[in-house]
Amino acid sequence: MPDLDLDQLYFAIVDGNAKAAAAVTQEAVAADVDPQLLLTDYMIPAMDEVGAKFEANECFVPELLISARAMKASMEVIRPLLLGKAVEPAGRVVVATVQGDLHDIGKNLVATMLEGGGFQIVDIGTDVSPDKLADAVATHQPQLIALSALLTTTLPSMKRMIDRLAADGLRGGVKVMIGGAPVTQDFADEIGADGYSDNAAGAVNLARQLMAAAA
Amino acid sequence: MQPRERFIAALERRPITGLVPHFELVFFLTMEAFGKVHPSHRYYSQWGQMEEQERELHRHDMADIYIATAERYGHSAIFIHPNPDEVDETIRTIDIIREKTGDRYFIMRHGDATFSIPDGTQMFGFAERLADDPDGLKREAQQMVDAAIRRAERYAKHGGLDGFALCADYCFNTGPFLSPRHFAEFITPYLAQITKAYRELGFYVIKHTDGNIMPIIDQLVSTGPHALHSLDPQANVDIAEVKRRYGDQLCLIGNVNCAMLDTGTPEDIAESVRYALRSGMPGGGYIFSTSNCIYTGMPLASYEVMLDVWRREGVYA
Repeated sequence: MPDLDLDQLYFAIVDGNAKAAAAVTQEAVAADVDPQLLLTDYMIPAMDEVGAKFEANECFVPELLISARAMKASMEVIRPLLLGKAVEPAGRVVVATVQGDLHDIGKNLVATMLEGGGFQIVDIGTDVSPDKLADAVATHQPQLIALSALLTTTLPSMKRMIDRLAADGLRGGVKVMIGGAPVTQDFADEIGADGYSDNAAGAVNLARQLMAAAA
Repeated sequence: MQPRERFIAALERRPITGLVPHFELVFFLTMEAFGKVHPSHRYYSQWGQMEEQERELHRHDMADIYIATAERYGHSAIFIHPNPDEVDETIRTIDIIREKTGDRYFIMRHGDATFSIPDGTQMFGFAERLADDPDGLKREAQQMVDAAIRRAERYAKHGGLDGFALCADYCFNTGPFLSPRHFAEFITPYLAQITKAYRELGFYVIKHTDGNIMPIIDQLVSTGPHALHSLDPQANVDIAEVKRRYGDQLCLIGNVNCAMLDTGTPEDIAESVRYALRSGMPGGGYIFSTSNCIYTGMPLASYEVMLDVWRREGVYA
């Protein structure tokens, strides 16, 4: 692959150029570059870079989503090749907005960024009851749960969900991370959550920390 | 002075005496306060099927709720949320409130026509259009503005409506949804257009947005609203700083911390009220309000604590 510059893949994702990201990925695949290497050395680091810029207010939600689209375009190329390689995701995460709360912006952003970070996402929607969460945990066996709430009035639902997991014997196997406009680290500590992030990019770092701590 | 005149004086940053004017964008606790479902929570699926007499009874019932809210809680303005949300229903609601209260209250309704933060299902599509079809997005923005101005012309021709609250939210607690560069391209020109058109029609304009507005506040102020609403302390917007920088250009509304009303002690609430009053009132041009609204689930007792402090301490000499 004499002229293949894989950094172009990295920059295509950072710049949100889906066509270029897909094209470089196709060239790389045609040149027998290991798709796992493309994922771990170029694509995920590119989304990490976008996340860091987002946290630093150097890029904003639309740019972040367009970068995620470029990552997805690249993933479409390598996904069939990864299927036969038994590549494990960084972790499986059930994401939900808690009962009583219909807001999905934060949840969807976190899901997008986690996916960009290599996590497998099980999105169970908004206004999620403790029953529905417990069912999803039992069914999908995630390592992580990410709960979102926008309204102060729905914060108590977060505690009810954690309590339900404990009551059903499901709490020990998962880490619970929470976020949303009214959420604070103090609140996370108070209700027994394992972590809190105030933004979607930070949620990826938190998820990695929680996965590492559980390993 | 009637509450409406005091409200207008504050919007125009003219000096007033007595209590600083107060209103809320919405007071949702009408069941608790009056035993009535809030107009916005009513689902009139058979509105068109009703006899006019029945529709009129519903209109009066909804108008009475707005008036009762203003009277009990000392609001100077009534923000109507017509249901169904049509121009003719808006006009009829305004007429009913005017018939019952004359010019006592400032009456406003929603009037924004700019892109707010899309919800989670629309957000990706919006971002794609921003990247792939910016001209199409601008055409849509212009169409929205043109349609809103056409509706405003009907309200102006009829009379009775005092102003518009422009309630498109642009910001999260951490900052704006759009970068300041995109905001300048896709929001500010259209917000300026609609604000100018409303003003030329004789309406007052209150621009509301949640969140941390500081990265785009210069742009918001440049569009020329009479007032800026919310000034959310949960998003680290400091009303004292906004007053210092823009108090000579527009009226400020809000800043009482809704999180304190939700979960704080009476002392926490009083402290937030005092900060808002102390920072907003000097020199006039301040209207007392929460940083959002009295929303479903908020303890009514907390709102009453907020009003107690306002009645005692929100007084111009």
